[in-house]
Amino acid sequence: MEKYWNKEIECMSREDMKKLQDGRLVAQVKHVYENVKYYRDLMDKKGVKPEDIKGTEDLHKLPFLSKADLREAYPYGLLAKPLGDCVRIHSTSGTTGKRVVAFYTQNDVDMWEDCCARAITAAGGNEDDVVQVAYGYGLFTGGMGLHGGSHKAGCLTLPMSSGNTERQIQFMQDLGSTILCCTPSYAAYIGETIAEMGIKPEDLKLKAGIFGAEPWTEEMRRSIEKSLGIKAYDIYGLTESSGPGVAFECSEQTGMHINEDNFIPEIIDPDTGEVLPEGTVGELVFTSITKEAFPLLRYRTRDLCVLSRKKCSCGRTLIKMAKPMGRSDDMMIIRGVNVFPSQIETVLIEQGYSPNYLIEVDRVNNTDTLDISVEMNPEQFSDKVKDMQKQERDLAVAIKTMLGINPKVHLVSPKSITRSEGKAVRVIDRRKLHD
Amino acid sequence: MSNVRQISVFVDNKPNQLAGVMKMIKECRINVRALSLADTSDFGIVRMIVNDTDKTVEKLKATSYAVTVTEVVAISIPDSPGQLSRVLDILGGKNVNLEYLYTFLGKSDRSVSFVIRVDDIANASEALTDGGIIQLTENDIAEM
Repeated sequence: MEKYWNKEIECMSREDMKKLQDGRLVAQVKHVYENVKYYRDLMDKKGVKPEDIKGTEDLHKLPFLSKADLREAYPYGLLAKPLGDCVRIHSTSGTTGKRVVAFYTQNDVDMWEDCCARAITAAGGNEDDVVQVAYGYGLFTGGMGLHGGSHKAGCLTLPMSSGNTERQIQFMQDLGSTILCCTPSYAAYIGETIAEMGIKPEDLKLKAGIFGAEPWTEEMRRSIEKSLGIKAYDIYGLTESSGPGVAFECSEQTGMHINEDNFIPEIIDPDTGEVLPEGTVGELVFTSITKEAFPLLRYRTRDLCVLSRKKCSCGRTLIKMAKPMGRSDDMMIIRGVNVFPSQIETVLIEQGYSPNYLIEVDRVNNTDTLDISVEMNPEQFSDKVKDMQKQERDLAVAIKTMLGINPKVHLVSPKSITRSEGKAVRVIDRRKLHD
Repeated sequence: MSNVRQISVFVDNKPNQLAGVMKMIKECRINVRALSLADTSDFGIVRMIVNDTDKTVEKLKATSYAVTVTEVVAISIPDSPGQLSRVLDILGGKNVNLEYLYTFLGKSDRSVSFVIRVDDIANASEALTDGGIIQLTENDIAEM
């Protein structure tokens, strides 16, 4: 039987949900217009007044907000509550530019933890579970978010943070962890380490994992599920919109339910900004209708995905978003072709290679080059050079079939590509150095 | 059957890779009897015959090296003109395909030893026996 954290909300009829969203959206627009100069200026520039927004059908009238706006408004420009009302700050890693900081009131923290509790419940968690949180704690939202959700759901919470893998496994064994929360790349690494230590998945009490904060493929999901003997659930969120828990997966594993009572999703054409109909792939845009301190209206996530209202077997009526195909800024254009690292990862796992790889893009004589270092599969190691070179060629052909461009594949030693305990670095684009 | 087991190790084509393998072998007090290194632009394959195959494989695997063990033929022939040619003629006559060969490190005044990797080891071994070529066993090698 499917369990819900908040059945009333999670299984609410579409009409009731729309009514709830309408009321919250109208209030939220008024709140930001009155309290945030940055929004007021944006709306005035577009000629929109709070009175023009009477419900979700008027959402498209509002201006978009982008990461560039967040950087420009850094640090206090989008704050909608006095600092005295705020209780927490989180921040993005800032690897793609200036950091973004987000503020939380106590209500914001409660709402966020409630969203995470829904995710943990959907993954089968309750007061009998031991939740091992191996996301990084600190400014990164992963650790604190799932930690709070786990508390709220009444689970015994192990605040491990990321790293020290042998200790993670030791605790997992000694304290009987049943649910693991971390990035998918770290989950894969833990799975690999368990095998290396000679521990079988059935020796552990783990039953589920909640993995997010970086793009991962369906193939990677299956491989993690096998290595840890669990069911792996996806979770989605952004620091900008509170953290993980904006959307979460149920037992059907066919996309993530968006917590629509707090976040209204839209899919837009990333080039024109036009709202696209349900079922079309485009850029995901969120409007947070309950956040007090750092409310984002029509925030462009740069994640490309598709929404669906198809009835879900879990009984939830919350709209579902498909696993993002990748962030529009993860997309590389190589020789004019759009390439996502996730496409390459799919091929690697299908062909029996480990999901640890490094993509290097460069430009030689005005032509883009794509080099992919892949850890060779020890099971397929042959003493004959020609066999090993054939493996490289076969993999290059499979990737060419997927991408449409020829890569150069380099087999490297097992375990020689740096493992990540947080978000994995998979791409080095050297073309930028030449520009 | 007097086939000999050869250990192959995958190494990256960058500094210190072979050194890493050899250091481990040194620490285990294992003696290398024959060694060859095949290289490509991306990686290398170290092939070797040692005096304790099981221990070497176990140690290398425990350190995450990709290792494979293959059966090869080891022969000892007189150190005089035309001897290797004779061996190759015997193999060719039986249509045995030779993948690669390399010499043993040990040196004697009168003979020279080779590791031969072929596609059909049973056929090769029989042909060599019939042709009167001395094949070395793992015991012979351990005592070298």
